[in-house]
Amino acid sequence: MIAVLGLVLGVVVGFFARPVIPHELEPYLPIAVVAALDAVFGGLRALLDGIFDDKVFVVSFLSNVVVAALIVFLGDKLGVGAQLSTGVVVVLGIRIFSNAAAIRRHVFRA
Amino acid sequence: MWPPRVSRAQLVVGVLLFALGAGLAIQVRTNTESDPLRGARESDLVRVLDELEQRTQRLEAEKHRLEVSRDQLESSNNRAEEARQQTDQRAQVLGILAGTVKATGPGITLTINDPQGNVRPDMLLDTLQELRAAGAEAIQINQVRVVASTWFDEPVQGQITIDGQRVTAPYVFKVIGNPQDLQPALNIPGGVIRTLEKKQAQAVVVPSQQVLVDALRAPTAPDYARSAPGAGNG
Repeated sequence: MIAVLGLVLGVVVGFFARPVIPHELEPYLPIAVVAALDAVFGGLRALLDGIFDDKVFVVSFLSNVVVAALIVFLGDKLGVGAQLSTGVVVVLGIRIFSNAAAIRRHVFRA
Repeated sequence: MWPPRVSRAQLVVGVLLFALGAGLAIQVRTNTESDPLRGARESDLVRVLDELEQRTQRLEAEKHRLEVSRDQLESSNNRAEEARQQTDQRAQVLGILAGTVKATGPGITLTINDPQGNVRPDMLLDTLQELRAAGAEAIQINQVRVVASTWFDEPVQGQITIDGQRVTAPYVFKVIGNPQDLQPALNIPGGVIRTLEKKQAQAVVVPSQQVLVDALRAPTAPDYARSAPGAGNG
């Protein structure tokens, strides 16, 4: 419940408080958001499977975000930032889809 | 689930999701704001910058070209204006000489009364020559403008014609020139006025600062004479 509250609060704050993102972090924000989404879907699936562990969730959330940002950072340094971020988004998208499929099977039994 | 049981784990998850929501919202808002350069990659920005610089250079070059052409047009316009003014001025001068425009200025009015009918064309011609020698610039006799080709005749005794037009006494010369030159030239001993007086004709000279020569002559183009190319700028 607190988790849902936090999400809603975050959206509201992000929309209306208009916080300023440091310029150096700007390119990493979209990738980090996608990575975090992946972690959230994974957590949701684990919750429905009955094996949710908040420690695992926290670690996977943070590591996902950090690794995704790191990959983009590395890609930028190597001059293939655009391609690497596309790759990261594709991989995370696939994972999100498979997690969503598992969730769907739990919810709809189909 | 209500009231929520507050544990450390729940709080941490809530904070993380708060961060996720905020990031999501910021990103969505950033992309919705119509600034395509926000969040663009460095290589894209460099490309955009390059394009802008090239465009700037092209526009600068075009600006320079247009400025040069503008300067050229301005100077040629000035030259054309100057040439037109010179032409106008020349047309005025030539028009006064050719008798096609009115002329005004200081001068004298010479009136010759001839009650006896003794004045002959050659006397009028002598008067005219005397005036020309004294620097007269524009002359009319009665209503006839005097020009370079003016001629005098007396087809019938006592009927004087100038350029084919009949003129009768009193003969009024309107002359533009320096009055201080014209008046003495007519009054010299043995000069025009003395000669006329011998024939019982009275001549009166009135100097004026404003004499109007308003008789006109139609401009005629010469049939044979053409300006010779390269023979001066006249």
